[in-house]
Amino acid sequence: MINPRTQELKNSRAESWEPKIAAFLCNWCSYAGADLAGTSRREYPPNIRIIRLPCSGRVNPLFVLKCLMDGADGVLIAGCHTGDCHYSEGNYYARRRFAILKKLFEFLGIDPRRFQMAWVSASEGDKWVKVVKELVEEIKKAGPILAKS
Amino acid sequence: MIEELRNKARELLKTKQVEAVIGYQRASDGLSAIPCVIRSEEEAGRLIWDAACVYNLCGYLKDFRAKKLGIVAKACDVRAMIVLISENQLNRDDVFIIGMECCGVVDEKRARVSGRDGSDISSADKCKSCASCVPLAYDCLIKEKREKAKVSEDADKDKYEPVRKLEAKSLSEKSKSWKDEFKRCIRCYACRQVCPMCYCPRCVADQFMPVWFSKAGGIEGNFSWNVARAMHLAGRCIDCGECERACPVGIPLRDINRKIEKDIKELFGYEAGMKTDAKPFLACFDKNDPEDFIK
Repeated sequence: MINPRTQELKNSRAESWEPKIAAFLCNWCSYAGADLAGTSRREYPPNIRIIRLPCSGRVNPLFVLKCLMDGADGVLIAGCHTGDCHYSEGNYYARRRFAILKKLFEFLGIDPRRFQMAWVSASEGDKWVKVVKELVEEIKKAGPILAKS
Repeated sequence: MIEELRNKARELLKTKQVEAVIGYQRASDGLSAIPCVIRSEEEAGRLIWDAACVYNLCGYLKDFRAKKLGIVAKACDVRAMIVLISENQLNRDDVFIIGMECCGVVDEKRARVSGRDGSDISSADKCKSCASCVPLAYDCLIKEKREKAKVSEDADKDKYEPVRKLEAKSLSEKSKSWKDEFKRCIRCYACRQVCPMCYCPRCVADQFMPVWFSKAGGIEGNFSWNVARAMHLAGRCIDCGECERACPVGIPLRDINRKIEKDIKELFGYEAGMKTDAKPFLACFDKNDPEDFIK
């Protein structure tokens, strides 16, 4: 299900494979939360590539799809807890949208561990570390996306 | 019933209530029905109505925006119109719905195989799980006289049973079977063109900046296209089955659409096109929406 070029790259690195994970973080809570984890000198796996967005409601299902198709082994979306959205309701829309996408992925045979969502507030540096550690563990178990498909 | 329909069309055109009536006429094969636009009283005799009237004509309404139109519509077609109205794509006052009581339409592909005598014409799959023969909204209703319009016998059964069976398969089985299905996709976009809900002036599949997925026919682009199409129909698809009917390679698109339809019904209690005053599914939310999948 992936482009042959990416497949080649993957194979060449198969032995020392480390998952690559794209993470979409909302600017107001989760990005600040991840920042807090950093400034508090908390350690967590470096497999995550953070993309900062104004709001979790900004995430288009196409973003997730493109990441997975272009070789990301997993995608994480993190936003404010419900009720805390800087724009009042953006995360409510995101929640609906991705509840459906997650179920659809599973139906079409994509490992549900590859696509996850979390609410991380600006004060939850510890939660961010926990979320990332668990995610990386799970994706390591799920293996490289290309080998599976 | 057909005469009643033709008379109604004549009356509408004569009194200038509508500029044209969109309906069905007999195709040159003498058996199937094709869409037609009736613009004058004299032409109204071309209109027909029977189980061959498979197409969902709502797509044409988008081509005639801001004109007063009459349209011949089955229950499922009217649901599509309700969604279009809720999305401000259609003005309810611009359309005169000639609602048809419907006993189900034929499965076009199977009918073609069974031959012209029509001895073994079974109804389309979508009709087997349809519980409504009378449209939810109409300006005039044309009743079925020949036989009492009956609700399909299967309608009481769990209509999502086929979806549940697919869901129960293992992840690798699902991955393999869908890969095999999508491999055949030739990206003709017939599913999009025929869909009454696809009205974007520029489809994501045609965009160049950014290129959301590969335009070449390959499994990865095909997979992305089919997921994107399904997601864009989430909470909007009314299961008219046109995409699956139009698909030249026979990908079971309705299975995907119905999977999403089922999840939305079970998780959020929402059904597209069932309420005339409902907001579009993804343009609204409930504070108590389930979030057990979120950490």
